[in-house]
Amino acid sequence: MKWIKIICVFLLGYVTIAGFLLDVPALPILNEAIRVLFFHVPMWFTMIFLLFMSAINSYYYISKGRINYDIKSNEYANVGVFFGMLGIISGMLWAKFTWGTYWTNDPKLNGSALGLLIYFSYFILRGSIKDELKKAKISSVYNIFAFAMLIPLIFILPRMTDSLHPGNGGNPGFNVYDMNSQLRIVFYPSVIGFILLGIWITNMRVRIKFLNK
Amino acid sequence: MLKKIFIIVSKDLKIDFSQGHLFFSVALYLVSSIFVVYLSFGPVGIKDLSTWVSLFWVLILFGSITSISNSFLHESKKRDYYYYFLLSSTELIFSKLLYNFLYLIILCFIAFGFYSLLIGSFIESYLFFYFILVVGSLSISNCLTLVSAISYQVRNNSTIMSVLSFPIILPILLILIKITKISALNFSWNLVQDDIYLLILLNVITLSLSKILFSYLWRN
Repeated sequence: MKWIKIICVFLLGYVTIAGFLLDVPALPILNEAIRVLFFHVPMWFTMIFLLFMSAINSYYYISKGRINYDIKSNEYANVGVFFGMLGIISGMLWAKFTWGTYWTNDPKLNGSALGLLIYFSYFILRGSIKDELKKAKISSVYNIFAFAMLIPLIFILPRMTDSLHPGNGGNPGFNVYDMNSQLRIVFYPSVIGFILLGIWITNMRVRIKFLNK
Repeated sequence: MLKKIFIIVSKDLKIDFSQGHLFFSVALYLVSSIFVVYLSFGPVGIKDLSTWVSLFWVLILFGSITSISNSFLHESKKRDYYYYFLLSSTELIFSKLLYNFLYLIILCFIAFGFYSLLIGSFIESYLFFYFILVVGSLSISNCLTLVSAISYQVRNNSTIMSVLSFPIILPILLILIKITKISALNFSWNLVQDDIYLLILLNVITLSLSKILFSYLWRN
């Protein structure tokens, strides 16, 4: 855990400095707005990672039945949704300056908004049950089911239709020409740094929950 | 195992037929909401394919959520224990899935008949459209049965059911709307191939997850 914190601080410090100061390729509409890439896209990576961890912990809960896993899964979902909100807000600002509007009818935008809706209903479900063990079990079941339906919503459906986002109608992960190598040297550290930050925040929240019990 | 499933399904169907109002209340719900749509579009009617298709599937969605939320509701609390000794969780969830599937097929065809009667139909290839109706009711029932089991456990049914199911059902609904639009134009297999495969994949996921997760949910 100690190493995670050190690497996280180091990487995010580097990203903050390099992301604002390093040269970026000047493209017609994007211009300097491309720098949002370093902060917008890692938010989604982090959200998916944390929600995945939440589903894994839910699975551990229903198979092993220890309440600790449920607390962890809930906190992972909380922090994941927080990063998702940050992703949506930064994306909206970016869209305002490049596409000219805060919200468009783009499959990726709608998919991510729906993904957040799924997890809001997960929180409502948690809030509506009083009994602790029952709450843990039912919400774990819903969490796993919801995560399985989130994957097609975010990863498969947008790729089958046209989108304003780059890399649709194919697999963006293997596309070499999408991103300038100048951007990559900041982008990848940023992804790792934000994922580590997410783990760190979750860990802290889980420890507070444990202490409260 | 199959025999037990059929016994449960036939028991549920018998209850429905003897009580009558359970099925007809949902059918009336659909018919009256179709009538509301018909009246609100006024004398002109719907002249546009995408409006026709999306309204149709939204109506089906509302009808199916109302009907499926009842699927565990008319089991009394004491019967839970009785089932617990008699059946495995797999048998119970599959019987509910089959029952909901049959229920939704009937509802879909009633809705389509009434909808095309009042509003008119844009469909060109009927055979494929009926296929979509069957596959659509299969996937909707696969997706919503587990959610109805969850909301049955919460016992706060009406709102929780719709809040939990709307975001989850959406990928399926979007694909259904998309392929229905294709079926209204010149249909060819190449156009719908990818979406059908995706729909099959989603059904496999929802079916297997329902089977696995329900056993944890049921074990009280």
